[in-house]
Amino acid sequence: MPDNTVIKKSSIKKSRRWSVAIRLIVALLLIAFAIFPVLWMISASFDNSNSLATQSLIPANAGIANYKRLFNKDPNFSFGEIKYWQWLLNSIKVSGISTILSLSITTMAAFAFSRLRFKGRVSILKSILLIQAFPNLLSLVATFALVSNFGNIVSAIGLNTHAGLIMVYMGGSMGMNIWLMKGYLDTIPRAIDESGMLDGASPFEIFWHLLLPLLRPILFVVSILSFIGTYGDFLLARVLLNDSSKYTLMVGLQIFTAGQFDKKWGVFAAGALIGAVPIMLIYFFLQDQIVGGLTAGSVKG
Amino acid sequence: MALADKPKDAHSIAESQLSKIIRVVFMIAFNAGALWFIYQAYSKGFYQIAILLGIIVVFFDVIFSLKKGYPFRWMAFGLAFMLVFVIYPIFFTLYIDFTNYGDGHLLTKEQALVQIENATYLPATGKSYDWTAFKSDNGEYALWLTDRSTGETFLAKPDEEIQATKPGDPGVGEADAKGVPQSIEGYTRLNTLLAAADKQLPNIKFGLAGEEGLSTVQVRSPNEAAELQIRYLYDKEADTLTDQETGRVYYDKEGIFTSTDGRTVQPGFRANIGWKNFINFFTSPALRGPIVRILIWNFIFPLISVVSTFALGVSIAIMYNEKDFPLKKLIRTLLLIPYTIPSVITILIWRGMLNSEFGVINRILNAVIGTAPRWTTEPIWAQIAVLIVNLWLGFPYMMLITSGALQSIPTDMYEAATIDGANSWQKFRSITLPLLLVAVGPLLIASYVFNFNNFGLIYLFIGGGPAIVGASTQAGHTDILISYIYKLAFESGGRGVQYGLASAISVVLFILVGAMTLFQYRFTNMWEEVSENA
Amino acid sequence: MIFNKHGIIAANFKHTQKEKSMKKSVLFTAIFLIATLVLGACSQPAPAPTAAPTEAPTEAPKPTEAATEAPTEAAPAATLRIWADDTRAPALEKLAPAFLAEYNVALNIELKSSLRDDFQLAAPLGEGPDILFGIPHDQVASIVANGLAAELDLGEKAAQFVPSTLDACKYDGKLYCMPYATENLAFFYNTDLVETAPTTWDEVVEMGEALKAEDKVDYIMAVTGTTYDLYPLYTAFGGYIFGKDANGNWNDQDLGVDSEGMIAAAQWLKDQLDKGNIPADWDWANNHALFETGAAPFIMAGPWALDRIRQSGIPYAITNFPAGPAGEGYPFSGVQTVLINEQSENKLLAQAFLTEFVATEDTMTELYNVGQRPSAFISVLEKLDDADLIAFGKAGINATAMPAIPAMGSVWGNWDTSILLVRDGKQDAKTALKEGAEKIRALIANPAYGMVNVPGSYQDQAGCEAAWAPECAATQMSKNDEGLWVSGPFALKAGEYEVKVALDGNWTTNYGVDGEANGDNYKFTLDADGEVDFVYDEATHLLTINVK
Repeated sequence: MPDNTVIKKSSIKKSRRWSVAIRLIVALLLIAFAIFPVLWMISASFDNSNSLATQSLIPANAGIANYKRLFNKDPNFSFGEIKYWQWLLNSIKVSGISTILSLSITTMAAFAFSRLRFKGRVSILKSILLIQAFPNLLSLVATFALVSNFGNIVSAIGLNTHAGLIMVYMGGSMGMNIWLMKGYLDTIPRAIDESGMLDGASPFEIFWHLLLPLLRPILFVVSILSFIGTYGDFLLARVLLNDSSKYTLMVGLQIFTAGQFDKKWGVFAAGALIGAVPIMLIYFFLQDQIVGGLTAGSVKG
Repeated sequence: MALADKPKDAHSIAESQLSKIIRVVFMIAFNAGALWFIYQAYSKGFYQIAILLGIIVVFFDVIFSLKKGYPFRWMAFGLAFMLVFVIYPIFFTLYIDFTNYGDGHLLTKEQALVQIENATYLPATGKSYDWTAFKSDNGEYALWLTDRSTGETFLAKPDEEIQATKPGDPGVGEADAKGVPQSIEGYTRLNTLLAAADKQLPNIKFGLAGEEGLSTVQVRSPNEAAELQIRYLYDKEADTLTDQETGRVYYDKEGIFTSTDGRTVQPGFRANIGWKNFINFFTSPALRGPIVRILIWNFIFPLISVVSTFALGVSIAIMYNEKDFPLKKLIRTLLLIPYTIPSVITILIWRGMLNSEFGVINRILNAVIGTAPRWTTEPIWAQIAVLIVNLWLGFPYMMLITSGALQSIPTDMYEAATIDGANSWQKFRSITLPLLLVAVGPLLIASYVFNFNNFGLIYLFIGGGPAIVGASTQAGHTDILISYIYKLAFESGGRGVQYGLASAISVVLFILVGAMTLFQYRFTNMWEEVSENA
Repeated sequence: MIFNKHGIIAANFKHTQKEKSMKKSVLFTAIFLIATLVLGACSQPAPAPTAAPTEAPTEAPKPTEAATEAPTEAAPAATLRIWADDTRAPALEKLAPAFLAEYNVALNIELKSSLRDDFQLAAPLGEGPDILFGIPHDQVASIVANGLAAELDLGEKAAQFVPSTLDACKYDGKLYCMPYATENLAFFYNTDLVETAPTTWDEVVEMGEALKAEDKVDYIMAVTGTTYDLYPLYTAFGGYIFGKDANGNWNDQDLGVDSEGMIAAAQWLKDQLDKGNIPADWDWANNHALFETGAAPFIMAGPWALDRIRQSGIPYAITNFPAGPAGEGYPFSGVQTVLINEQSENKLLAQAFLTEFVATEDTMTELYNVGQRPSAFISVLEKLDDADLIAFGKAGINATAMPAIPAMGSVWGNWDTSILLVRDGKQDAKTALKEGAEKIRALIANPAYGMVNVPGSYQDQAGCEAAWAPECAATQMSKNDEGLWVSGPFALKAGEYEVKVALDGNWTTNYGVDGEANGDNYKFTLDADGEVDFVYDEATHLLTINVK
């Protein structure tokens, strides 16, 4: 808070030093709160006992046994074949493709809603908003039936295919992304289009040559957030995918939680940690851009 | 952006020619592909999907051929996707509302009838055999049958009278240990599994149908072939089933064929039951009981979540807002961590940390203060635990958005307030907070709506538990509507799945969330803005 | 307005814009371009180009020609899809190559974390597996009722199964599942802490309290649940769930949830809890961990926990259940089974797979090895040499099969609730169990328990199938804010009508004129077509009829 812009220098300097010290201590506490679960996850992953009950913050018998189990290097840990890298790859593939396709489609739609004027524009926008209010988790039965039917028509887009899952993700993200991208587009001054129009550019040229370059940074951020959101889904993927070689990472990790979770705790932590690292890295490297993008909409919950 | 440099006319003409070609090519390709798909859907009996896609094709054709449709071309794919993957499932869900789709009524009536009509029985006079399959080079089957009661052996072929045959007869090889010939001329003997791999085998009728229709033999199981009779006759006009064995008549009663003396024919099927799901929801004391409790918690939980995360987020944003605060960047980065890990993972980690007996939190508490709350079994502590976890998950987001908003509060306002003698708290109360609320208000409401339906947290962390003692459905003290419905619909846990009832409740939820969404956009004047621009 | 939403967006937007590097934008354009091209190229709703087409199992090559040829041909003659739990899936996975080699049929094993729920969603849509592996027998009944389990014929193989396990798979006299293992609880004690096994519950308390006094343990016993997991305790005190009739069938009219023994056992639990002898949290995993870390010397556990107990390294022994006032306690026994999806197109093949391949000593031995439960297959059971499992068998010698009757569905929840009420001190043992049992009885006798209705001659005009139907939900009353029961308005034709009030969907409890039990019918007349509604006061049993 900029209340330090006052003039009495010496006393302020002293009180400021105190206030900084206190705030640093508070920061320490806050950081402890923020990173404690992560430290605990790291510790669990290196605790060879693999058990919740015996885990302590500094593992009594530290080692990489959980990682061995995770990568099927421990014959005594019978949990079927854990296809970890395959799952990670699937997750990246599914989230990546659905994000790129979804954003391409929604950016174009958002352009029309933001820049073109036509009959039905407001009512379509309103409808999209209302439809988004339907908790799509609850139409799970219908979604399952739909994908199942698709699969019976063309097996490449049915249940247990990534294409089917991607399409469901895309459909689900349309409404929110249209609104979000429209919001961003609205912030770009119209003067830019008008200058283009004066030059005789078609709407497509305005979109492609004038607006898209300006949108790129924000598109980049939104796509990262949308990627992360899809990466974290487990409900739809769990129901739509059957083969363990088709699983996404979250579905794969979820099977550790079934049954005697407390005895697969360390392996879960190891898998979770590796799965979390890529996303954490994205955040740290692109922190500033993401902060900018976030302020205008809640993409991740 | 070099548009202006180019010769205007030539450019736009070339472009329009090109775009026209692209458009025509696209339309041809799209129509061809879509029509093929529709044809496939139609020929395989998926009429609803065929109609759905038909609508999309007509929509595409109209907007891509008429000039007026131009703006819609931009959003054609988006709307099509929404129609197929969002709107259609919603309609399907609305339809389920009025059916008893759920445990005991999972199949469609057609499926149930197929199954019922396939049911067979062995009449008292019917014969039962052990069988071995033989297959000719041109794919025809013959069955070697051994009568179970007399031990007589027969050779049966489709549409030919069943012949009493013995191993060693002309064309028939010698018997093996089981008395089955090793070979039959023109045929290859199949082992049971190989024969069973043919889905058609059970449908083939061996032998000639006699006058009473008794003498054909069908494969009933890997061990038995028998003179089976159709058990039920379905009368389409009267919608009744008649049991051929007993003569009993069954009527369709809300999705299950029932006789007047109360016997039923399994399986049941989905039936339209009108408003019953809604009536049940609003009237059944058993269902209503937990609902009131769940609803109250459903409104409180997101409220406390938003307030607590916002309070912590704002505090942090203000505390470390100064440009030259030491280690500012590092502090920010570390505090961002909860936000950077997929919440599915961190929620499960928290579940372990807050385990009442072995969780690290309780071990510390036990060591330090000698006692610790039972997070998972005591209702009030479970609710507090959920709120703590949500605080952890949510504060970095609030920190980010408020610090963004803080940047844009002009410093001269504070200077003016300082001159007026306001202290820090007064400045916060009268300047920072109101301006922040205006700026991030819509996001707070969005966050409220998100948490209103925060299924992942409630379900993964604690599964809605601890259970509400005395509730007749699986309801827990931390359940919110969406997790409650999910459990009702998809987790059988003793009572069986109830898709119909769950759909009815989800409509109620839809109305609640819809109202909140509308309120949010009222609040932000977005409607007016949208309308103005129209 | 400076502080509107867009202002902030614009500010940050500028900020990020500055930071963009040329490279990034080039990259992004490329991605965008590709995406647009992909979109344009899509003739049908976006089949993602990289997704490999899956071969739906229903589209497996038709086995007509290939089947007659040598079974070593490359393409399998057929494919069986199997859903299994995390224990069975790896074992089946191991068996699949042998099966393919021998019979030219491929096995597609899919691991599912909630077998039954996923099955009930997928199977009606024709997306279910052919075979469901690892279903407890008491869940089979509901799958059968949903038309999703196929009738089985094990032929001569049936004789090779333990008869009682086959009985557990019968529903209406027909066989719907194939058993492969049995399971029941047994009594575990920590041999480091306890030298000789306790034979009575009094000894359990005595030994436990001694250890607790020496501070060697935190609790005298671990408690892993409320109902199933405590059944051997309840039975030691004389408690039971259902009695049996003369023919040995479950008698759902003889409910034992509020039997003396059950109440005494619940009281015993509460006493131990109050003394701090047992934990207040009966979470399954936590209580197992208590035993495994030596914090509790006794536990009642099933074979599914053997692995974790062995791994924990705690010294243990397995023995029979301690005796109580009613003699030695006995557990429930469960049977693990396989069933075939009625909606499957491969029913015959699936059955042949079960009888020819699974119901063999080799496969059953393999299942025994991964599952660590006594086999349901006689020849494998006879070779049982694992001391622990033999001890399990002894502890379960008097076990009673978990009742697979529909009434059981009403029992679990209410029984659990009653025990929890006792545990948490909200009701005393007697009241809690009596009330719980009353609810169960009402549910068993009558699913419409709690319904208040106004059956009468008008009902056929109010959406009921016939008049005078006390069970008809269309006319049932609902309680309003003032505590009065109301129904209607119903649109009726002109005429004379008679009605009564009936509770619980039948005539057992009914009230007529003046609120008299079994009294005369109320009468009312509509001179013209009109509407009528009813108000019922449960305190006075009076019905008010409002004709409009």
